[in-house]
Amino acid sequence: MGAILSISTTTVGEAIRRRVLLVILMIGVLLISIVPALSVLSARSDLTTTISSMLFVLRIVSVLIAIVLTVYMIPNEIERRTIYTILSKPVQRWQFLVGKYLGAVLALGLMIGLMAGVMLILFYFFKHPPMERMLDLLRQAILYFIEVSLLAAVAIFFSTFVTPLVNFFLSAGVWGVGSLLNPLYDSFANNQGSAPIIRGMAKFVTSILPNFSNYDVKNPIINPGVTIQNETTYYLGTAGYGLLYITILIIAGILIFDRREV
Amino acid sequence: MGAAIETRQLTKTYKSRALGKINVVDHLDLQVEEGEIFGFLGPNGAGKTTTIKMLLGIIYPSAGEGYVLGREIGDMDVHRVISYLPERPYYYEHMTGMEILKFYGALFGINDKDKFQRLLEKVNLAGDATKTISQYSKGMQQRIGLAQSLLNDPKLLFLDEPTGGLDPIAHTEIRDLILQFRDEGRTVFISSHELSEVERICDRVAIINKGKIERQGRLEDLLRGGRIEVIADGLNQGFADTVRAPESTVSFHNGRLIVDMSEEGDVNGLLDGIRDAKGQIISVVPRRRRLEDLFIETISEKKSGGEAA
Repeated sequence: MGAILSISTTTVGEAIRRRVLLVILMIGVLLISIVPALSVLSARSDLTTTISSMLFVLRIVSVLIAIVLTVYMIPNEIERRTIYTILSKPVQRWQFLVGKYLGAVLALGLMIGLMAGVMLILFYFFKHPPMERMLDLLRQAILYFIEVSLLAAVAIFFSTFVTPLVNFFLSAGVWGVGSLLNPLYDSFANNQGSAPIIRGMAKFVTSILPNFSNYDVKNPIINPGVTIQNETTYYLGTAGYGLLYITILIIAGILIFDRREV
Repeated sequence: MGAAIETRQLTKTYKSRALGKINVVDHLDLQVEEGEIFGFLGPNGAGKTTTIKMLLGIIYPSAGEGYVLGREIGDMDVHRVISYLPERPYYYEHMTGMEILKFYGALFGINDKDKFQRLLEKVNLAGDATKTISQYSKGMQQRIGLAQSLLNDPKLLFLDEPTGGLDPIAHTEIRDLILQFRDEGRTVFISSHELSEVERICDRVAIINKGKIERQGRLEDLLRGGRIEVIADGLNQGFADTVRAPESTVSFHNGRLIVDMSEEGDVNGLLDGIRDAKGQIISVVPRRRRLEDLFIETISEKKSGGEAA
């Protein structure tokens, strides 16, 4: 446990010093900060536009940070030979991979926490929303954190056998398709009008890929008419789904990494 | 004393699209005794680092077997008593020297500030403990590397090019530390190109080329068969003709006779002959073979052998 903790805290230290991540983070904070001011230009309900824009920026920037942070994580350790020094100590490969993953999740937590904190403070300061809205935003930020933790697991899994560039596009692709899974399922897999082969393929894709669209509950937040049935069950179920997927991906990554020549 | 490292027919094969199967390490039989400094030499791409990685369990052998401190390679228990300093190591640049030791110490479950301090003193970095690695010179980075490699009080150290790219002062510092390790009873396995350095500190060496061990043994045995140079004055060409032999070269320079002969030749006979001919002996200088000569000879032999084949 000491080895995992030590590797993960060092990973956080490295991550929060990576200039490219800090630049993306600063852009995210800046965009979130100017959204309340820009929303006055919108013809739609002021509050709806503000929430929608802030959450959009938070999600996209978080996803970008998660991918950039994790695709280089393992390859960098191999290229810089730090992995050799670490693996020559009594550290198993699975401990190294889990440590790196947990470090990435912690770093993502800090970065999303910063953006979400700025978002909540500015939202409260400019719009004086009811507490219920503030809690909605907080819950959405937590769901985004779980979403990017799952995405980080996808990228770590790919990084055990593909190059960073390929991993970047693969992970972004998985997230892109995974974010459209609910509409995809409704349009094809669940649609009796679709050809059986299309339905079958859609069902296969939706059952293999992690469903990232579950983590976006922006619609019920901005549309009072849309509600989530049994919120507690939904949030717990979504978190459990993410945790299960993360576990599967990390175990698969360990199995590949364990036999890999580094 | 037992063997610190032993390999039997250890082989690592890689597949290449262009060249097919290549044995990067080819049926390697290596024996390193406990408490010695062992030099593992070879040209670039000879298979040195691959061998070290296999011994550390970082990559897996394709065939053969290997034992480190009596345990099969890859056994995690042995990692508690060995350490490794890679070639041109990188340490997390945001960390200070002390933090580096804390980090690597935590991998062993060691959290002993006094020990970290003692190690920093040992490698002459106590005054730079709070500087970040980005502020360290190459020599300092190598020394912090050696300090981290001593955290677990290892019985066996693997050092890959420990003096590569360092200035002469840093060279000397690292060499002194390595000699100190042997005095402390540790086994040191050095992979290096710095042949003069290896010659100074190693007890035994192995020369590897194209994955195969070409020479292995005690340095004094491998370097035996040196030359002796005798310079004498007051002799003529007639005398020179009498001392010519297949194993020696005879020449005149500024009127002085220079005989370069094998150490095993009849040196005393030559000296008696000079005296009998009323010559004056200026100098008798034994010239031991250098490791560099042996290395070049070994690699060239292989090259010409390979070409002939």
